[in-house]
Formats: sequence, structure tokens, C-alpha cells
Amino acid sequence: MVGSVERVHNWRPIALQCVTNYSFLCGAGHPSEYVQRAVALNYQALAITDECSVAGVVRAYLAHKEQAADLQLIIGSFFRVPQLGTLIVLAKNRHGYGQLCQLISRARGRAKKGEYQVNPEDFQQALDDCFVLWRPCDESSFKEYAALLQQALTTRLYLAYARHFHADDATRYRHYESYQHDSGLPIVAVDEVLYPEPQRQPLYDVLSAIRQRQTVTQVRASLPPNAEHYLRSSEQLQRCYPQAWLREAENIVAQCQFTLHELSYEYPSELVPAGMTASMYLRELAYAGAKERFPDGLRSDVQEKLEKELKLIAELGYEYFFLTIYDLVCFAQQQKILYQGRGSAANSVVCYCLKITAVNPDQIDVLFERFLSKERDEPPDIDVDFEHQRREEVIQYIYKKYGRHRAALAATVIRYRLRSALRDVGKALGFNEQTLGHYLQHIDRRDQQLDWQQQLLAQQPGLAATQQGRWLLQLTEQLLGYPRHLSQHVGGFVIAAGQLSELVPIEHASMADRTVIQWDKDDLETLKLIKVDVLALGMLSALQRMLQLVAQYYQRPLTLASIPTEDADVYAMLHKADSVGVFQIESRAQMSMLPRLRPTTFYDLVVQIAIVRPGPIQGDMVHPYLRRRAGEEAVTYPSEAVRQVTERTLGIPIFQEQVIKLAMVAAGFSGGEADQLRRAMASWRSTGKLQQFEQRLIEGMRVRGYSEAYARRIYQQICGFGEYGFPESHSASFANLAYASAWFKCHYPAAFYCALLNSLPMGFYSAEQLLQDARRHHVTVLPVDIQTSTWQHQLVAQQCGYGIRLGLRFVRGIAEQQIQELLAQRPATGFTSLLALQQAGATPALIQRLAAADVLRTLSGHRYQSQWQSLALKSEQLPLFADGEGQTSKVQLPAPDEVSDIAADYRSLRASVKRHPLQLLRERGLMRGLRTAVELRHCRHQQLVRVAGLVTGRQRPGTAGGVTFITLEDETGWINVVVWAQTARAQRATYLTAQLLVVTGKVEIHGDVIHVIAGRLEDGAPLLQQLELTTRRSRDFH
Amino acid sequence: MSQDKLWWYLLTPALLLDEQLALQQQEQRRQPQVLCENEGQRGRTVVQLNPAAIAAGIQRGMPEVLAQTLAPTLQSRDYDPSRETTVLQRLAQWLHQDIAQIALYPPNGLLFEVAGLRRLYGDYLELEQRLHQRLRRLGVRYVLTAGDSPLMARVFAQAGQSGVVASRSQRQQRLAQINIAQSLLPLVSQQRLQELGIATLGALLKLPEAELGARFGRAILAYLAELKGQLCPPQQWYQPPETFTERLDLLTEVSSWQQLLFPLRRLLQQLEAFLQSRQWSVTQLILCAYHRDKSQTQVTVAFALPLWRQRDMQQLVQLQLERHQLPSPALEIAVQAKTFSAREAQHQSWVAEPHTEKYAQHDLQALLGKLQSRLGEQAIRQAQAQADWRPEAAQLWQPQLSTEAAPADLVRPLWLLPEAQPITLDNWQLQWGPERIQTAWWDTEAVGRDYFIAVDAQQRQGWVFQSQQQWYLHGWFS
Repeated sequence: MVGSVERVHNWRPIALQCVTNYSFLCGAGHPSEYVQRAVALNYQALAITDECSVAGVVRAYLAHKEQAADLQLIIGSFFRVPQLGTLIVLAKNRHGYGQLCQLISRARGRAKKGEYQVNPEDFQQALDDCFVLWRPCDESSFKEYAALLQQALTTRLYLAYARHFHADDATRYRHYESYQHDSGLPIVAVDEVLYPEPQRQPLYDVLSAIRQRQTVTQVRASLPPNAEHYLRSSEQLQRCYPQAWLREAENIVAQCQFTLHELSYEYPSELVPAGMTASMYLRELAYAGAKERFPDGLRSDVQEKLEKELKLIAELGYEYFFLTIYDLVCFAQQQKILYQGRGSAANSVVCYCLKITAVNPDQIDVLFERFLSKERDEPPDIDVDFEHQRREEVIQYIYKKYGRHRAALAATVIRYRLRSALRDVGKALGFNEQTLGHYLQHIDRRDQQLDWQQQLLAQQPGLAATQQGRWLLQLTEQLLGYPRHLSQHVGGFVIAAGQLSELVPIEHASMADRTVIQWDKDDLETLKLIKVDVLALGMLSALQRMLQLVAQYYQRPLTLASIPTEDADVYAMLHKADSVGVFQIESRAQMSMLPRLRPTTFYDLVVQIAIVRPGPIQGDMVHPYLRRRAGEEAVTYPSEAVRQVTERTLGIPIFQEQVIKLAMVAAGFSGGEADQLRRAMASWRSTGKLQQFEQRLIEGMRVRGYSEAYARRIYQQICGFGEYGFPESHSASFANLAYASAWFKCHYPAAFYCALLNSLPMGFYSAEQLLQDARRHHVTVLPVDIQTSTWQHQLVAQQCGYGIRLGLRFVRGIAEQQIQELLAQRPATGFTSLLALQQAGATPALIQRLAAADVLRTLSGHRYQSQWQSLALKSEQLPLFADGEGQTSKVQLPAPDEVSDIAADYRSLRASVKRHPLQLLRERGLMRGLRTAVELRHCRHQQLVRVAGLVTGRQRPGTAGGVTFITLEDETGWINVVVWAQTARAQRATYLTAQLLVVTGKVEIHGDVIHVIAGRLEDGAPLLQQLELTTRRSRDFH
Repeated sequence: MSQDKLWWYLLTPALLLDEQLALQQQEQRRQPQVLCENEGQRGRTVVQLNPAAIAAGIQRGMPEVLAQTLAPTLQSRDYDPSRETTVLQRLAQWLHQDIAQIALYPPNGLLFEVAGLRRLYGDYLELEQRLHQRLRRLGVRYVLTAGDSPLMARVFAQAGQSGVVASRSQRQQRLAQINIAQSLLPLVSQQRLQELGIATLGALLKLPEAELGARFGRAILAYLAELKGQLCPPQQWYQPPETFTERLDLLTEVSSWQQLLFPLRRLLQQLEAFLQSRQWSVTQLILCAYHRDKSQTQVTVAFALPLWRQRDMQQLVQLQLERHQLPSPALEIAVQAKTFSAREAQHQSWVAEPHTEKYAQHDLQALLGKLQSRLGEQAIRQAQAQADWRPEAAQLWQPQLSTEAAPADLVRPLWLLPEAQPITLDNWQLQWGPERIQTAWWDTEAVGRDYFIAVDAQQRQGWVFQSQQQWYLHGWFS
């Protein structure tokens, strides 16, 4: 027995190896839980040591800060070295922390994503400010490497003995004593802590099984034999280890002085010309920009605002942040890449002058100060969206400018959600995949009344009766929110002044040539490190194309900033819900809001974009806002404080910022609390942190004289924001793009559709739907033709104005490069034969595709005949006689009828430009008594009607309480059908599977908003069979 | 035209599922049931379905998830083509009583050469009646077609055009109307033809062959020749097996031999057909039940007299099984028969059999096998190391070999008591410990024990543990 005989009564325990759940699928505890448990047990020190990682340390640091207890937090990591055993590396100071990060980066850099590779040599260099605690794997390894390690690490090397009541405790004890005898190395008592409390053993075992992709019973031999790997008490530890070994731990702790607080971010210095301070330079740039932005001179109030902003930036020391982004947008300007800044700090005069954003802050009343606040001391947030296809150029620019050792992407921690957790736990417990899939099908994650366990038990009452079933429920619940692996953030770059890997370890991302750091955006925020978000936005690509087309074909050179503002025609168009293709307000929900909200100014658009979101909907703020806007309800404020916050939205809080501000002015939240609330909103889904604020908020508001109902609505709204937080600043930037795209749609529809079609895939609608909308706007659409089409769609002159000639990118299954090479050979007069196509380099396979797409009409007749001829082409070198084989065929195939032609279009092209299938049905008299979309406008409210259309969308939004919205399409437009849950259930098969749906129901007409409330659903398949046309064009639930 | 060949084709589009349905009680059969298969990106899709599933709106090719939504009580199982092929072989064996020349088209088609049978049956009508009768008794859904070439018969079956009584010209007419999608051409060719507007076999047959060949290659010419009967690829005729082994998937776990009697009847019917077609009889059967953990239980049933009728065999099997118990629930059962005798031959005394055999040739396995069949499966056991921290689970007597690795060398007593004995610690002195074992939380036999090495008053070294305040002796080191 190795324990100490006498106990030291007030000895405070130490843990030098704690494995958290950031050692993915290994440790069974959140870093914060270790900190809380250690504080509860009066630990003097706790080392967070994940496997070749420091991904969890910031979470521990945050918890440590919140606890404010007398506990020393040590940063470290452990490594499994095949030749050596396990090595725990602890940072003594800032320098040692840098060494640890470098070591991790090196080990990660050698292996593929998620793995690492270390050699004994790694521990013989550059660790002079770290402690290394060694658990040798066996005697021979000790003999071979002890001297080498000792030589390099001298007094910083320890033997780490652990006793968890295993069978080999005594043997190891004797070994360690002999090691010590032979080498003189000190032995230190180091528990191997795998979870904070013994009750976590099952979770730990399950995680191990998941890691090994087997069931628990299959891996049971590799599991620890007991539940002793938790944070033990002082008494328990003293029973396990000799006092001398515990004292060695105290020695180590005494010498570890590093805290993450010491990390400070140093900005890249090359951005400022020599001889200037950053502050001077930023001021100079801002005023230079102001001259361009305000050619008529700065108004005094705007200049005042600018000065205030510059002062605040200087006080907080954020000049370099703005300069870094300025540098990126300058690059984009040079390269003619369209971009747009957004985020809390973006809608400022400074950003407008630096051309980071095109939203004139004059147009929108957002106070810069509100977002860059002195008391909150949080880093500013600016995201910059770039054209989708060209973002990579910006990323490469960053790598080139700063080097890969200085720039890397932030990480995103992928966490367990219900689906993945239940599947993984289930498999580890030996459930088969089908059963688990079946369970999951019966859980509706949007159900807010019943949690997933209740739902599952309602379906499978037997589950709770078996032990396996109870473990499944319990362990799945525990696993929710556990980190599973690191992924790359969509575009958040961290740029350092020196070696980034001395600040935080860098590892490989799954994408080639991308590297990520081990911290995510929350970690960066906690440590006040700054990241620059470089994002991609498809709409910017489309807008760039619109600008180019309008400049080229209409001789009207424009920029985003010079598009005429507040154009009444544009707003009139939007009032009619005519917004297909318009950024952000094209969805069905947005469309039905447009005629009600009737935006007439830019700020109305900002509201419009933000209001159709879970936040305002769950907070029941939409209808009050609409009523007040329509003048049906008086605009009142419960207090003067609330008036100040909500005046610009008629007393109804719409934006995330307003709600947070309300928590402060109406519920008495302090700045710090409000900040916690904002963070909790961002992470509500994973941690359920919001509930803790519920009581505080409602109580706070009641005390201050607000009604409980009002307080509850505010809380509901906060919960809604938790899912998709939507701040005013983002909405403003989006509104800018929404307005620009709407302006093009209104004034240059041909350019608008052509640019959108060339930018697909993006947005809400398919090529097919965009084309239909184009034709409804009287834009002529010409089919793809080998003699005139280019790869892209293009504008062509028509009798009046321009039409769209579809490009070859519309043909399915062909590669751009092949086509470009072919078109380069196209004679000015066009190709003369299939053979000429082949001689120009087209392969027979390509020619067949083109023939099938009916692109060769002018060359070889209708698509059947063209294909018949193209099939005779041989891929071998052709004999040089003019009379190609294609021409010699005696066969004349009959031309396709219209229906077959349309069907073939759908097979070979991304859409058909021929007639709509429903028009054909109607023509054949198969749709008597069925009204078209256009006819619905002339119906009476509540009139009983029958309509039919191809199902193009089924949506069941989480905010709609089981209602499904189905969009039907006929030759005249779209019909919005509302299906109540009960109707859907009663006619399930039709509801779920019909491609052509016939609906009997009541029309509801509110102004310009028309819905059909479904009563009876019929599958229109028999009708389609008449046409022998079955297309799958529905966009299903998402 | 008597020398002309005529081919019939039997397509059983849901053979595997129908086989499973036949084993079910009426009530269960009325539940919607499907078999699903993984189809790459589309995930699991329905490949076979019963009438109840069809009534619920489920279709072939539908994703399983959607099918589940349409019929929440849906029973969905894996489709296994190899298993279906086994059923098909059984079907061939069954029909071999009537038709000599049968070719297997796995997983679900049988081709018959019937021209030769006309003499036997007089006219095809009688043969057709007989087939209908047999198939209906099996409860299998099927399409039976006739063609002037094997391929033509198969194409008709694919198109679902049942019926064997038609003239040659009628068949030609029908053939011309067959949609290309049912032509059995490779999918690529089908698509290409459809893209050319060639929608029926009639349109295809009208095209000049040389031009078709230039565009579609020789394969399509071979196809056309085969279809027209100009080219007749040799058929692999079905050969009945020399021994009888049939296995049956029970779909649910069955816990006693008694419950197995119903499914057994089906296997014994198969055996009867097997014996009937050969005019053989049998004196010994091996019944085998397969369990979830892949182990199996065998029971050898011997008859005093050679038998061949299902009814007789069933009775005796039932009698003998009453003495046996199933050690654990069974998922599948099998019947094997290996030695047969001609029906007219005198039966031998099976008791005399051992004398004729040379014991020297018996290896250990054979001896064990014999012992097992006499004493029962569970009576013969072998010591096994198991990967488990629980000492009692780490050493097990197992009926068959398992290759699991044991945990690394641990301090364990040589003699582990079959069951730990409660002791009072007064007579013991603890030497080393504890070794704490808390494991198997997932099991009903979770343990939490602190083990010590201790010596008793007689200086014997024992292995003791404490669990829930009570001390136990679990083994002896010396």
C-alpha cells in the first residue's frame, strides 16, 4: 500500500492532468465543469491538459474568471508518444506557453486533419519554459530515453505516477521507484483525470466506444476497470500517494505562473507608413475618403459624428483593425471585386468613408457608439462579404501579404446535436442503425411543448423499461453540446504581428491549403483577440454582373454607391410583392409581408428584412408593428426609456440590439449582464443558457412597472433571436443590396435576370422559376443555340430593348472548358455541319449532349434527328472527305411532339423555355373548373375554388405551428396554398408525394396577399400521365 | 411447327417478401411490410412491398423514410438478393417435379423450355393450370409469360403481360408495343433510344440494323437477334442438389421448438418435394436453430423407418422435439438431410452403423459432435478467456470457440470459486489492495468491488473483496 500514513489536515489538492471533452471523444467533462468541481473541492491548482491541444483552455479560463476563486489554472497538453508513453507538458510562463503552442502546431502539421504525430526528439528541444511529466510506457523505453530527455529538460522532467486502484498499481510503484533510483528523476503524484465526477464513467466509456467505432461491450477490455478517474478529494489523494510526491506537485504548481490574460494581440505593423502613428494614418484616410463620399462637403453633424468615432477608436486602440480591413477592401477595389461590409462597427461614418460599406450612415440612424462601446471593451465586429467566385483571391492575398505563419482561419467547434448524439450513443450501446433512424423520425425538434425524451417515450413507451433504453436517453442527453471536432470558420481570419503559432496552435483544416487555429470565435472574443471576417456572397456576384451589363448595353456606368436612392418605382414594385430574385426579400414569407408592410424608404427595407425572422415572430411583434404602421393602433410607449430605444420602430422592438438595450433600460441589466445575455443568445441552441435570464428579465421589468405580458413577449423574442440573431446593422447592409437588386429588377429587368441566371446557384429560386418570372415581365428568352450562344447567358438586342439569349451553361453535363475551346473555333458565319463541330474539337459525346439539348437545330434538324446523326460520329481521327457519315443516313426520325420535346428539355437542360406543362393540360381540356393563379385575383374573399399546379416548394417553418406552405406553379404564376396540420395528416400520401397537386379550398384575400386554404388535396398524377410527363422539380422540406 | 421451341418465363417480383409473408399469421400479413435496399445517394429505398403497403400509398423505389411517414406502423427489413436467390432455387426445386428444363435467372426469374412437354401434357393449358395451382399454394405473386425466344418471354414478364396462350403473330404484335423501358436493354441504351424518340420495341425493330449497329455497337444487334430467336444463348439447366439443406429466416425471435413447428412444416414440404422428385426416402434429419449471437443449436432426429412424406416426418419431429429445449431464442432454422435411400430398398438398422465405421478416423471434432448429439449441445463446454474486468466473466465455460482477446496479465488467483463466498474479515489479514473494479454498468450484472490479496489464519493466500459493506472470498492463490 503506497498511501501516506499521516494526513495533512488542510492540504489542498492538485490536478496536473485533466482531459476535457476538447480531447474529442475522450474526456467526459466540459472545461468549465472541471473548474467548478475543483473550486468546490478546494483545489489549489488545476491543469487543463487536452491531447495535443489547447482548444478547451479558453473555456476553462472563462469559467475560472467567473468563479473568481482561489484556484490556480495551469495551461498544458498531453501527448502520446509511441516510443515513450505519455508526456504531459505544462507551461511555466508566457514563453513556455508559446513553446507548447509551437510543439502542438508541429505535431499537428505532420499529420492529417484531426491527428498528430510526435517523436521523442520533439521533447529534446525548445521546451525550456515548460515542465514535462512523464509516464513511461515500459522499462525498456525508460532505459532508452531517460538520459536523453533528462539531458534536454534537466530539472523540468518528472516521472508522473498515477494510482487509480488498478491491478498493476503496485508493480508500477516498484518500477517508478527503481526508475528514480537509477536516474535520480523526481516522482510526482499526477492523477489521470478523465471526468469531473465518478458518475461520468458510463459517458466516458461510451465516448471511447464511439471513438473506436464499436459497441461498449466490444471495447470493454480497453476501458478503465473502475470509475476512479475523477477529481478526488484531498483525503482520497493523500491515501493514494506518499507525501513527498504530493509535495513535488506543489513545487511544480508554485513555478507555473502563466495565465491567458497575458496574451495580448499585436497587430501587423506594416499597414502604417513609416513616420506616422496608426491614429494619424486612419484620420488621414477617413478625411480623404470623406471628400469622395461627400463631394458637396461634410455637413457639420456628420463631421461631428466622424470625429467622435475616430476619438473612440483611438481610445480603444482599434485603428489597426480598421486599417486591416481597409487594406482588404483596397485590394478588392483594385481587382474590381464587389464587396460590402456589415456588422456592428460597419455602419459608421468611418467605414463609409473608408469605403468598407456603401450604406450611407446618414440614411439610417444607427449610433456607432452603441456597437463599439467603451464600457463593454469588446472587439469590434466587421464582416466583409465578397463576390462568391472571387473571395478566394482575397484569401490568397491575405496569405501572400502576411504569410501562412501569421494568418490562419478561426475554428468552428462542431458539437453534438440530438441527431448525431442519439445515433452515436445508440450505436455504442448496440442499437442497430435502423432502430435509431426509426426513433429519430418520431422526434420533431421544433416541438416546443415536448422535449425530445418525452416525444420519444410517447412513441416508444417500452424504451424506459429496459436498462439499455434508459442509458440511451440519459447518455444522449449528457452528450448534447459536447464538441466533436474542429472545423474551419467560414471566413474569420486571425492575423498576427509575429508567429501566430506562439499565440495559439495551428492545425490542418480538411480543405487543402487551409490552416485553422484551435480556438473558435467565442474564444477569440473572450481573449479580446481580433478576427477579420472574409465571407462570400452570391448576390454580390450577381450585382457585379448587373452593373457590368448595364454599363455595357445601356451605356450607364454605375457603382453600388451611385445607384439612385429612394426610387418610388422600385418601392411600388415591391408593394406588389414582385420580388423574385431580389436579395433577402424574395422568400415566400417575405413576399407575403411586402404588401402589408409597404416599404417606402430605405429604413423600411431594413425593418422588412429583420421582421420576418424567428425573433420578432416568436415575440409576437409583427402584427403590432403592422397595425401601428397602418395607423390602426396608436404609437405609445410604456416609458420614456423605452421610447428612446424603440422610437424608430414605432415602439415595437424589432432588432436584436433593441431587445438587449431594453433589457438594460427596462429590466435594469448592467452592461456586463447585457453582454452575457448577448453571448447566451448566440449559443442558446447548444447550452440552454438563456433560461437563467428569464426570471431576472421578467422580474426586473415588473419591478420597473412593465406588464408581465410585455416582459414575457420580450423574453420570447430573445429566445427567437437565439436561433437566428438578426441585428439592425446587418439588416442595414443587407437592405442596401436588396434595394440595389430591386432597382435593377425594376429598371433593367433583362440585365437583372441575365445576371442572376449567370450567378446560379444562389438565392431562393431555380433557373426554371427565374425564367418564368422573366417572361412574366415581358423579357424575351431565346433558346440555347450553338451558332449564337456563348457559355454565359447574354443580352441580345430585340425590337424593343434587350432579351436574353440563354448560354450553353444551361445544358446539363458539359464542362465549361470544352465549350470555350469549341466556341473559340466557331466561324463568324457559324458551324456548317456536325462534322465541322467535330473538326473544331468537340468529342462525339459532347456533340450528343448538345444534340439532346436541342442546341444543334440549325445544324442538323430537330433533336431526334440531330442525335441520330451525332451517334454515328466516331471518336477516331476522321477520314478527310467532306461527305461525313452523319449525312448518309437514310433514316428520317419523326420530330418530337410538344410534350416529348418539353420532357426532353427537362432532361437535358436546366429548364425548358417552351410552354408550361399546365398550359398543355388546359389546352387539352383536362383542367376544367380549375382556376389559374392570375384568375385567383378576381375571386371573392372566402370563395370556394379548385386550383392545380406543379409543387415547387413545401415549407414548414418552425414558427408556423405545424402549418405547411405549399407553392404551386401554373403557366400564369404561383399559387400559395396553406395546409393545416390536420389536413396534411388526413391526406398524408398526397400531401407528401404529389408532383402535381389539385387543391380544393377557400381563397383568402387580404389586399394583395392571396392564399388558398386547402380543404382537399388530390394527386394530379393521372393528369401528368396523360402527358407522360413526370418531372421532379419540387424543393422539399428544408 | 412442332419442332419450334417455346419458352415460358416465370417472374416473381417480390419473391423474398412473399416467402416471408407465407410464414406469417393472417393478422401479421395485413400489416404494411416492405423490403429496402441501400441505393447510393438516395439512401434506403423500397424494393418489395406487400398489398397492405401498396394500399398505404407506398410505391416501389420510394425512399424508406417517406414510406415510414406514409405508414407509421410499417415493418421494414433489408432486402438481400442472395437470400432471394436461395428462395428461387427452392422454387426451382419445387417446380422441377413438373418441368425438367428450368434455367435460373437470379434473383427472381425462372425460364422453362416447354415445347418438349407438350407431348406429356397434351396441351399447354394443363401445364399452365398445374403451375398456377402450385404457385398459388405457395402464395407467391408472379407473372407467367410465353415467348418464341427466352428473351421475348422475359421481356413480356418485365412488362407485366401475363398469359401464355397466344399465337405467334399475336406475340409479335404485342412485342411491337412494348415500351423501351421494359426492353431489358442496358439502361444507357434505353435512355439513348428514348432521347431519339424511339419509345417502343416496334419502332426499334423497324430501324435498319446496319445503322443501328453503327450507332449502338454490336451489343444491340446481338440483343435483337436474341429477341427474334435467331440467336439462342445456351441455358444453364437447373440441377437438383444431391443433399438437402434449407434454411429459413424467421423474421422474429422464436423461443421454443414448439413455436418452430409451423415454419418447420414448410421446410419439410420442401424436403418432401426433394425426395419425391428423386424417389428417395430419409432416416435422419438434422435440425438447426441459429441464434442472435451467431451460435447455433443442433438436434438430430432419427426415424426408425425411412420416410418421405411431410406429414409423417412432421409427426415424428414433433414428438422428438418435445424432449428438447431451445437454449436461447432462434432467428433462423434449417433442415439438413445428407444420407438417403431408394424407396424400395430395405432399410438398414442405424444402430449397427457405428460398427461399420472406424473410430480411428474420428478426430476430436467428430467425437465432440457425437457427444453433443447424444448429450445435448450445452453439455459439452470449453474454458475460455474473455475480455472483461469482472473475474467471473473473464473466465467462462463456453459451448464454442471465441477468439476474443483477454485483458493483459493481471494478478488473478489460479482457483476462482464458482461463486464468491461471504466471509467475515476477522480471520483475514489484508496484504495488498485495493484493486477497484466498477464496470459493466451497461449490463444487468454491474459490479462495484474492492479486491484485496489477504491471508487467512492458516496462512493461505486468498482473494477477497468488499462489496456493499460485505466481504467475500472469491479465489485462492495458494
